Amino acid sequence: MDTHVFASLAHVKILLVPVGSISQPTFDKYVTEIRNFESIRLGDIPVDSKDERARFMPNPLSTGHLHLSFPTCPPPTSHIPLSLLRPSHFPLAVIGIASCAPEDTLPSVLAQFHGTLLDLFPADFIFPLARSCFVFEEGDGHNSTNLGDGLPGLAVIPSMMGNKKIYLGTLIADLCSNVLGEFGVLVQALESPLGNEYLNSSLLPILPPLSELPTPLIGNRIRDPLPPLSSHNSVPDMSKSGFTLASSPTMKRTSSAGHRQSTLTIPASKKRLSSIGAVSSPGRLFKVLGDFFTLAGRTEDACIWYTESLQLFRATPDPVWQASALEGLATISILDSWSAGHGLQTSTSATTRDPWGDVADKLTQATAMYYKTPVADMDHHSLVAYLYCCCVLRHSSLLFSVWSAKGWGPLAFTTMLQPGTTPYLPPTISHEDRTSWSHLERLSSISGISRISIASVIAQAHGPWLLHLDARERIGVLEAVAAFYSCLGFRRKEAYILREVLGCILDLIVCGRDEDGIARASYSPDEGTQTSATNAALSPVPNDAQVGVRVNESTEGNHSILKLLAYLCKVLGIELDAVRFIDVDSTSASTCGNGLDDDCQLREPFGWPELQIGVVREAVAVAEALPDYLAVAQFALSSLKTLQDVLELGDQYHFYTTSARALLTARRRGDTRSMEYWTGNPISGISLVPLPLIRLPNEKPMSALRPRSSEVNPILTGGKNPFLYNPRQAAFGQPSQTMVVQNEVLEFVIELQNPYCFDLELDSLSLSTTGVPFESTPTRVLIPAESNYRVVVSGKATQSGTLTIRGCIVQAFSGVPREFIVPLATDEELERQTRRRGALQCEMGRSKYSGLDAFPWEKAQKRESKQLARSPSKLIPRFLECKVVPEQPLLRIRRTSVTHGALMLYDGERSTIRLTVENVSSLPVDFLRLVFDDSTIAPAQQVLAEGSLSTFDTYETEYNLIHRPLFSWNEDESRAIAPGGKLTLIVKCLGKVGCTSGTIHATYACIERNSETPLEVFHTRQLSYPLMVTVYHMLDCQAMDILPLSLHDDDSRPGKSQLPMSDISSWCLFSIEVRNSYGTPFEVTIERVQKDATSAKTSSIIAPGSTSRLVIPLRKFLLTQQHISETIPTLSDRQFVLTESKLSDGEERIQKELFWYREELFKSLQCRWQEMGGIRSGDMSLRQQRMTMSMLNTLRTETARIDMSLLTFDESEVLHRNGKYHPQANEFVHLRIKIKNQYASPLMLSLDLVMEPSEHVIYEGVLNDIPVGRLKSGASFDITISLCFLAYGRFTIWATANTFGGKSRERIQGSAQLTAVVMER
Amino acid sequence: MSLHLFVLSPSDTPIYSLTHHSTKPVTNVPSPLASNLPAWSTSAFAGTLTALSGASSVPHHTTGGTVRMGGGQDRHVIQMIANASLDVVEDVMRKENTMYLKSVDKFNEWTISAFITPGNTKFVLLHESKNDDGIKSFFMDVWELYVKTMLNPFHTAHTIIRSGVFDARVRQSAKKYL
Repeated sequence: MDTHVFASLAHVKILLVPVGSISQPTFDKYVTEIRNFESIRLGDIPVDSKDERARFMPNPLSTGHLHLSFPTCPPPTSHIPLSLLRPSHFPLAVIGIASCAPEDTLPSVLAQFHGTLLDLFPADFIFPLARSCFVFEEGDGHNSTNLGDGLPGLAVIPSMMGNKKIYLGTLIADLCSNVLGEFGVLVQALESPLGNEYLNSSLLPILPPLSELPTPLIGNRIRDPLPPLSSHNSVPDMSKSGFTLASSPTMKRTSSAGHRQSTLTIPASKKRLSSIGAVSSPGRLFKVLGDFFTLAGRTEDACIWYTESLQLFRATPDPVWQASALEGLATISILDSWSAGHGLQTSTSATTRDPWGDVADKLTQATAMYYKTPVADMDHHSLVAYLYCCCVLRHSSLLFSVWSAKGWGPLAFTTMLQPGTTPYLPPTISHEDRTSWSHLERLSSISGISRISIASVIAQAHGPWLLHLDARERIGVLEAVAAFYSCLGFRRKEAYILREVLGCILDLIVCGRDEDGIARASYSPDEGTQTSATNAALSPVPNDAQVGVRVNESTEGNHSILKLLAYLCKVLGIELDAVRFIDVDSTSASTCGNGLDDDCQLREPFGWPELQIGVVREAVAVAEALPDYLAVAQFALSSLKTLQDVLELGDQYHFYTTSARALLTARRRGDTRSMEYWTGNPISGISLVPLPLIRLPNEKPMSALRPRSSEVNPILTGGKNPFLYNPRQAAFGQPSQTMVVQNEVLEFVIELQNPYCFDLELDSLSLSTTGVPFESTPTRVLIPAESNYRVVVSGKATQSGTLTIRGCIVQAFSGVPREFIVPLATDEELERQTRRRGALQCEMGRSKYSGLDAFPWEKAQKRESKQLARSPSKLIPRFLECKVVPEQPLLRIRRTSVTHGALMLYDGERSTIRLTVENVSSLPVDFLRLVFDDSTIAPAQQVLAEGSLSTFDTYETEYNLIHRPLFSWNEDESRAIAPGGKLTLIVKCLGKVGCTSGTIHATYACIERNSETPLEVFHTRQLSYPLMVTVYHMLDCQAMDILPLSLHDDDSRPGKSQLPMSDISSWCLFSIEVRNSYGTPFEVTIERVQKDATSAKTSSIIAPGSTSRLVIPLRKFLLTQQHISETIPTLSDRQFVLTESKLSDGEERIQKELFWYREELFKSLQCRWQEMGGIRSGDMSLRQQRMTMSMLNTLRTETARIDMSLLTFDESEVLHRNGKYHPQANEFVHLRIKIKNQYASPLMLSLDLVMEPSEHVIYEGVLNDIPVGRLKSGASFDITISLCFLAYGRFTIWATANTFGGKSRERIQGSAQLTAVVMER
Repeated sequence: MSLHLFVLSPSDTPIYSLTHHSTKPVTNVPSPLASNLPAWSTSAFAGTLTALSGASSVPHHTTGGTVRMGGGQDRHVIQMIANASLDVVEDVMRKENTMYLKSVDKFNEWTISAFITPGNTKFVLLHESKNDDGIKSFFMDVWELYVKTMLNPFHTAHTIIRSGVFDARVRQSAKKYL
């Protein structure tokens, strides 16, 4: 590739071409060897002093240098018009390099060499001026017989030769001597009038072959006698003929005093030329001379000729040539400075402020001239543009060299003259330095050239005219510009230029391919794009190919293009390698990363989004065009990853499909590498699907199986805790330890998110677990665009223990699996995340570094944020954990006797349900318990828990809960169920009004296991059977009453037969009204069950809507004082129940008395009902009924029993009928009162009598406080009082026995009543 | 003649951009070198190259009249140039303490002037003709408007300015000065 060296005008170009079958490395080796000769001292060049050839030969003792450069590539033929304007652009000599293989003969080598030259240059081209073929002898040199100088233009370098370098130097010097001689010949031709006309014929003239020019006879004649010395001096000689005095204007000039004289001599030369009759000005000729002298290393002469030509151009403007002459002058001053640096010339300067200012001015002028050149000829556009660019680059190169060499000095000159192998990377700058501002700025301050000024010069090279250039030149120019920018640290500008370079290269690739495509018409378009590559070695393809033929691709160079691309993207803030390749074969393990920490939302924007998108699109297109499929995928996916926020929907979709296609192709081509997982964290959460209740195991300690001592029935309290709401219960329970069962299917819900606008396809998604082995099959998931998605992944734990779910392993399409950790959202974790996010948000708007210092991927290293560092990163994340318990049996309900799960009951009805369960597991069930629940329990428990009920109501509620459950079960029925076996359970039901639903819970377990160590715990499972319950309320009980029983002889009422005929006063009557509020008749039976009485029953059929009173005699009873003084028991042992302190002692005693008698009453009565015409029957509860004090008094046997009777005066019974006495009026009768102590202890009693109407009765003694005295238990006392009824009518006598002390009501221990009817007889 | 204004956040992200068509004539004379550009190959990459090299802004004569080549890429190229000019802007910014950087860079036909706020927000203006005073006044106006926008507590240095009022006022100022 061409390099734009500053001093290229002074370089003698010698083209190196391989000849014959020389291998590339061998050629390269010799090229390197030859390239060591950067310059040759003029003194080393053999002088050929024949006639005109001697003109450019150096003086024997001259001290200058001939600068050489050795390209291996000739300039394109389109540049031939430049041949006179810029001879240094063309190879002036050619060296063929051949390695001498045994079979080759030297003449054939030489013939090949000439053949090659004919290919390279058109036959009539004036260059190269000299040629030579170096044959390097290989091996032991057995064909040395062929050695010798028999063949001209062929030099054989034997392998045995000791000092090859010196010999090579000699050979090259010979070649240079030839070149210098040819310069003379060429100039001679140009000096002829015809030659001069050719020279001035057009803007960029071409000289026809020298043979076609008429031989300048005069010139020959005149020059012949020239003394060789004059041309050695190179100072145009006075003695030369007038015709050739074109070279004479400076004839008397010495190098020290040239300037003044030249002004004097120029008019003379002009005159002389015109006198010759030449039409054209010799300015161009002088310029050519200057060029040749520059090349010949004779700077003084060159300088003189250039100055002369400039003088001429001033009069007749010829911008391109003038500019070229200025460039030449500029080059010469650097050459001189370089020589001075080498101490070869005693020279001046280096004290002024800007020693290069003069040179730079010349170049600026030249640039401006090129810029303004009017170009008429279409073909010359490209060449003038090229010259312009070269001139700008020369200028830039000057400034850049001085800048990079830390000022005007030998280093700078050397850089400009002999840039070495790395022309664009000066020794003072390393790759790292380019990013260090201070280093670059230091260079500026030392050298006094600011980077901006260099950049502004470089920028001139860039413009639309670049399109005029051929691709090769364009790439060369752009490359140079990019390199300058790069070294100056202007990376964005460099990126700009690099894009153009890429555009150039890719355009060449694409166009080349198009041409191939035409040649291979049979290729299908898509196949065609895939088969050709940068330097594709294309093999001929048969035209009728129906078979897909793949041509071997050469991927050489692709890598560099991609590297360039990656660099350019990096400058624009795009990480093209954000997603890396991973060789599938080498790493099967997934890389691990805590996905939660890369918060995509909080990424700070960097760079210019529109540019980034454009560049990325281009990058993908470039990679597709190469084609490098993995790179396509990498670029597309990386940009999806990093630029997701700014990419448009269409782009996202395009990138995704492109990457997928590219990956497929790459895989088809057998590429083993694959992409790492590229999207952000797609997992937003993992949760375990709760097991269905039927499968949920409960852990119980083994001690629960042991029989417990009396405990409060748990049904009353509804659990241990009195508080309904306990916030700590959830926290202190085991939130993360869900229990699951070994070998049973677990289901996890994975929440996935897809922020992209396309459906994201995950090849596999599986859980990442530790702990016990977990079997699950990865699933394939398609996450819909821009949505959250839930996936259920199921699996089995194959052992018991702890199963930890760390996260998910995700594999994208054709990618490498990657694990994403999902920590449990514990408080600490959430706090950590919140803190982190907060810290990031706090930093969001703040920028310490800007521009290229703020690349997002460098940020982490540059600034360790205090706040971010402080966040507790040491926190060990907790994961979702499951406790896997051993295998458990499983029961299911096979059938029930209930239809539709609904149960219909009458209030108080008793029935049974049959429930058949089946063991569907392989383990036996050896433990089975039933627990019941119904809708009445919870409200009752709540009421109890509130504690606001009176003790009496509490008792009633508790009684209902304990003794009247909806369901009940006989525990003895439980027995082991073998695998596959069945068991029928019988559950009793009791209808309770208000119950709407009930549930039967069967708890079962397999406890007896064959394990060596005794287990601490066992696990139960529960089988629930919910029931809808409807209870009909059909019988209302009301108006319960207890009445004293009195019997009359003439009673003919039914049921009389049931009554005991004796001891009538120790009986009472229980009566209750029952109303049937239902639609069918019921028969209600009340049965008496008393210890000291025969059983009896009364029944009644109650029609719908009617009320019936049922009456049954009851034997009175008396409870002991001890019994009734007990407090009302609470069935639960609740300690927080307060005693009702509002009641007085007496009231409390009465309440207790009422309570206990009522309980006793209910015990002695059994109320049943029977559905008429049906089979349903049940109990009727009396517990709704209240007991009053009068009922109590009736029911209770009196402590002191009083019997009263009337006797006639002669001690015979007074007639009495139907409980009434019929004494005679006005006759004395005896009233006998018998008091008996029925109490268990002695009583002190007195007797009160009341007679009504008292004014019609006379009596003996007093009626109040008749002393009875102390009566022992069971003893009796008789009192007889005489009295006389004074009128007809009805008289009533009441007697009451009182104890002493206390209030009047409490003193009464017994009472009796007697009715007497006095009638006229 | 058009002018392009970009307001860039410290991370080089444009938070506002404006294209203004000025009525003032262009004084730049294109080089004869830039004329008669060859008909270029039609591949997409060549299109990029054409646009980037600046050829698209040169009127291209075909039989149908004046056509602008690769016009679709223009905006992208202008952004590229603005972005590339940041190299120089940053460099000058470090060495000098003026806020208004007059004609700090030149690329293709564009001259770049810049203005740097104390908060390191850069206003980059691409223009073709010389109008130093006008540009300075324009920048001062934009700065004032920008500061007013930044007073919004919800507005960070990286927030894109979408305010219609801001836009309208900037346009007004551009019409006045440019």
